[in-house]
Amino acid sequence: MNTLAPFLPTIAALVKIGLLVGGLMTAAAYLVLVERWMAAWVQDRKGPNRVGIPLTKIRLFGLGQPLADGLKIILKEDFTPRHVDKVLYTAAPLVILAASLAIFAAIPFGSVLPPLGIPGLPDPVPFLVAPGLDVGVLWVFALSSIAVYGVLLGGWASNNKYGFLGGLRSSAQLVAYEIPLGLGLLGVVLAAGSLKLDAIMNAQAESGVWYAFAQPLGFIVFLVASFAEAARLPFDLPEAEQELVGGYHTEYSGIKLLLFLVAEFLHMVTAAFLIVIMFLGGWHLWGVTGSSQEVTWLGAFIRFGVLSTKIFAVILFFMLVRWSWPRFRFDQLMNLAWKVVLPLGIANLVTVATIEEFRPQLVERLGAGPAGVIALAAPWAVFFLGWIAAGMLTPSGTDNTPIRTHNMLDAERELVEV
Amino acid sequence: MTPLPFDPLASGPLLAGAVLATVASLWLLLPNGRDTTSARWLGALLGLAALAAFIATGRRLGGLGEEAVFLIVSLVAVISAAATIVSRSPVYAAIWFALSLAGVAGVLLVLGAQFLGVATIVVYAGAILVMFLFVLMLAQPAGLAPYDRVSNEPFLSALAGAVLLGVLSLSIGRLSAGPASCCDLPTRATATVDTTAAPATAPVATVVDPLAENHVARLGGELFGRHLVAVEAAGVLLLVALIGAIAVVSRGEAAHAAEATTAKGPAAGRIAAR
Repeated sequence: MNTLAPFLPTIAALVKIGLLVGGLMTAAAYLVLVERWMAAWVQDRKGPNRVGIPLTKIRLFGLGQPLADGLKIILKEDFTPRHVDKVLYTAAPLVILAASLAIFAAIPFGSVLPPLGIPGLPDPVPFLVAPGLDVGVLWVFALSSIAVYGVLLGGWASNNKYGFLGGLRSSAQLVAYEIPLGLGLLGVVLAAGSLKLDAIMNAQAESGVWYAFAQPLGFIVFLVASFAEAARLPFDLPEAEQELVGGYHTEYSGIKLLLFLVAEFLHMVTAAFLIVIMFLGGWHLWGVTGSSQEVTWLGAFIRFGVLSTKIFAVILFFMLVRWSWPRFRFDQLMNLAWKVVLPLGIANLVTVATIEEFRPQLVERLGAGPAGVIALAAPWAVFFLGWIAAGMLTPSGTDNTPIRTHNMLDAERELVEV
Repeated sequence: MTPLPFDPLASGPLLAGAVLATVASLWLLLPNGRDTTSARWLGALLGLAALAAFIATGRRLGGLGEEAVFLIVSLVAVISAAATIVSRSPVYAAIWFALSLAGVAGVLLVLGAQFLGVATIVVYAGAILVMFLFVLMLAQPAGLAPYDRVSNEPFLSALAGAVLLGVLSLSIGRLSAGPASCCDLPTRATATVDTTAAPATAPVATVVDPLAENHVARLGGELFGRHLVAVEAAGVLLLVALIGAIAVVSRGEAAHAAEATTAKGPAAGRIAAR
């Protein structure tokens, strides 16, 4: 045992990585099935319910479907068209999948285990691959911006106009929505006083106020931005099937296509993780999980269950939105990013900074109770003001009818008549 | 982490050889219109030799795992930086640059500067380089003209770069070999952090481990304490640039509108302004 002691943290990290990657990959496969069920439910049909245990008649509600799909796409011919840039064409899916898996090094997937009492291991054991990383939020932010490369390179290397357009659209969209995403993150970081995601969860558990309630505007901004970053349906312009065939992965097939699709799903899972951890209290649930760092085995399990349930609920929300909303047009997408979400994000950040600056004085003057009420009421006031302002200043619809004129003077005459 | 004794006289010839090999290798590799396969192979081999020589003149970090990881990420950074300047395709150059940035971020992470490492990726690889790629892909989908693909002064630029590299290696080697060695700097930094950082986040004075708790809080205390003026100045500079960009764009629109007004009468001007 003593000879193993120096390697124990490494072994613990490897075990966590194994659990996390295995769990994520399985989850991604079965979430595809859930998404198809959801689609079937929204569209009032049955969905995949046939595939069960092979060579028997047992159907098991279609639970064998992901295995069959995965086997099929892996065994398909991995076809590389002749007109592609081979190096980047091969690298793109690898880059995007590696980046979206590496994100999870800094994302906690539970609270802590009770002390194991193994010498050489820090107690209590956190549900986190890299507990020493002090910049967890920034790590997530950095790697989600690396994922753009996969899309951009995939689109460019395909040497196909649809793929190229998809890549360009995607990069413009991701760069635009990274800013509101960062503003949403910053508000939470400022309130929690830490860049570590587990510390952010602990802060919410201790105060009992989830940041979705303390910073409603920040929550909305972050939600919209993370939908856009995950390229889910109201924002799925990078691969709009009706316009771009498949977008940046038009030319891909077989296992490379699978890598792209898994990475896309992982983006959604990451977004769900972040929304839950940063705004919905993480593993905390009032009266169920407690808030201290000392846990029993049962407590640790309950916290893991609460976190997973919340994440699954957010993922279901993502899917429901996908099957119920139409897609934005590109100018609407950009207007929303730069003219609505960005100012709202700045408003949220300023509010949070002001509150956090004056919180000690307020507590000193008014006592903890009234100060807490003010600190909760002010963001909500800003939320409604921002909502009203956004509604009044930005038209909900745009007039798309082209002005059919021969010269500018005619157009002006028409406008004057109107 | 005790540095091995560094002897400039003993490693001097090695360093000089490394510099010469770098010059030759870069000169052979830089796009200069010759483009023969044998020259490029020779250049690559010379470059590897130069790299090995540079590594041999450096000092040890201590700790096998740390050293191996450091060596890998720094090799990635250096080799992809060289590949950035010698690659013919601008898109490939940008990708190599991204890889080089990833290597630099890895070096910073290994050395314990977590914030700098991650910020390098966020700022450079995540934002600036994506913009580069965007523009490169939009601007010249058919590739550059042949005269744009050659380096202007391959020999002089290779010479300047390699000599700079040699001088830096020599001076850094001397600095780290002297009595006031590596561990002087962190102690001083920690001491100053203690006086300036906010009381809530001030670390214990004896902590020198850069991977210790509250790494970012200490960095923030340092930035907004001792270097407050510099930070504010940089912020104002960026704000000025932002306002300038907006002013240029809106003036361009106004000029466009005025042009339209003079050309087609006031009505057209009003439309353009709308």
